Amino acid sequence: MNETQAIIERVRRVNETHQRLALAVEPGILQIKPGQSLLARLTATWDPYLREHWHPVGVDKNLLLVERPGSLRYTPGAVVSLIGPVGSPFRFRKTLRSVLLIAYDIDPSPLLMTLPALIANTISVTLVLLGTAAAYGTEHLPPEVEVLRGENGTLNWQNRVTTVGWADQVFVTVSPDDEADHLLSLWKMFGDLRADIPPNYLFAVHNTVLPCGVGGCGACTLKIHGGTALVCVDGPAFDMTKMVLT
Amino acid sequence: MSLRISKPGKHALVVETPVMNAAGVLGFGDSYRDLFDFSAMGAFVTNPITYGPWSPASGTRVIPLPSGVLVHTGLPNPGVSKVLGAYRDLWKRLPVPVIAHVVAHSPEDMSMAIRMLEREESVAAIELGLADDISTAEVEWYVRAAVGRGEKPILARLFHGASADHARAAIEAGAGGVVAFAPPRGTARDGRGRLTAGRLYGPMVKPMTLRLVGQLARRLPGVAIIASGGVHSEQDARDYIEAGAAAVQVDAAIWSMPRIVEHIGKDLGGLSLTRPVGMDDEMFALFMNKSSDDPEAES
Repeated sequence: MNETQAIIERVRRVNETHQRLALAVEPGILQIKPGQSLLARLTATWDPYLREHWHPVGVDKNLLLVERPGSLRYTPGAVVSLIGPVGSPFRFRKTLRSVLLIAYDIDPSPLLMTLPALIANTISVTLVLLGTAAAYGTEHLPPEVEVLRGENGTLNWQNRVTTVGWADQVFVTVSPDDEADHLLSLWKMFGDLRADIPPNYLFAVHNTVLPCGVGGCGACTLKIHGGTALVCVDGPAFDMTKMVLT
Repeated sequence: MSLRISKPGKHALVVETPVMNAAGVLGFGDSYRDLFDFSAMGAFVTNPITYGPWSPASGTRVIPLPSGVLVHTGLPNPGVSKVLGAYRDLWKRLPVPVIAHVVAHSPEDMSMAIRMLEREESVAAIELGLADDISTAEVEWYVRAAVGRGEKPILARLFHGASADHARAAIEAGAGGVVAFAPPRGTARDGRGRLTAGRLYGPMVKPMTLRLVGQLARRLPGVAIIASGGVHSEQDARDYIEAGAAAVQVDAAIWSMPRIVEHIGKDLGGLSLTRPVGMDDEMFALFMNKSSDDPEAES
């Protein structure tokens, strides 16, 4: 965990709702792993007050790519203060063959850093976009990724039983505003579709607002079986069999 | 410029640099150590500690606001016994004294938590996080319950807007100083439009708190006041010292700019170099208070 400076080298629109920033960063930050994120501060003023939560999505010729909403304005050449890496990497199974990624009422940016490594290791990836996430344009994603969209705002999608059955691991990310409700809905759905939900299979990837990002404020404390955990240190991905879902 | 927090006839804590973090900002000492130099602070204040474990709050915890944030954590912590087990070795290694921030629902719980902390070498002083809107009599009960438990200096953190009578009650009950104040409470709508209550942080807290600290300092001369609320720059910290505070606590500014503590520490450390030659601590405090007379008559 360090505070470093980066420079925005390029800003490129990737779809109707999102843009990608290419950042010149210190070499250590390029080692960031899928699941880890950064807290960014672009301004010398106190508005916005908290650092922006940036999700890296890949590396391109020594530049770190992050995806941000298209409604925000970023200028090439701007200097950014970064704190990170925040959180722990996703824990993939060694025998992984097929991964299901689900974004529900939120863009899938927190999951996209997984794609380069999974594809390079010939692991099949299915991305399911539910709720408002269905509007996310995916033309810029690698062609190896199978993209499925929710039907009419429901938790249904084409070949749902098959995709759930084939997946060795599932990572779901949901809107932070409805996190508990959404996670509970998905947990019930998986419970209906499978005979059981084993450990190390279904992971919730949290998008909680992080005031500090380093375990100082306690605002992202989660109840898990046997105690508590911090999204910003132990997360963002938590095995849903170990979570206390209310 | 140093701060002495004492307990008559017993132990005293001398804080060499009049800057520390506020409770609830830096965790239990294991976070932020890579992000700024802890020795820039005069002391480290822990996150809230309770006698038994407290769970995190349910519902929305953080609502970003224009130039600020509303936070409602529920003060999650595993209880004093587990906190000490996990962090006592770390606290011994920190370059600054550790002030344990204790919160309780009753004087009995407060008393039991403090009994355990009193035995800890790694804890230099105890800060009581007093609940909102309690009476002066309740302030006295809590502080007496804490003071009667041992020898470590006790600080009383008052709720935002507490009166000079509350501060006086804490001092008369044996507190070595007061922390003025806990962050103010507020209510805001979350992303789904639900009203959520919590504590407010941001630069806008400082003008409100500065006024209250100034009033407190004028009414209670000689009391060690540690000002807390909205410190976001070296000038903010100096303003509090000028208003009569003996030290300042920095809160949520650290989340966005961790090194701000180092800057403030260096700046206030330098304040001692700029005092008139030959002026001792007592004269300097008088000088500082006099120079602030009386920027705002009470209205």
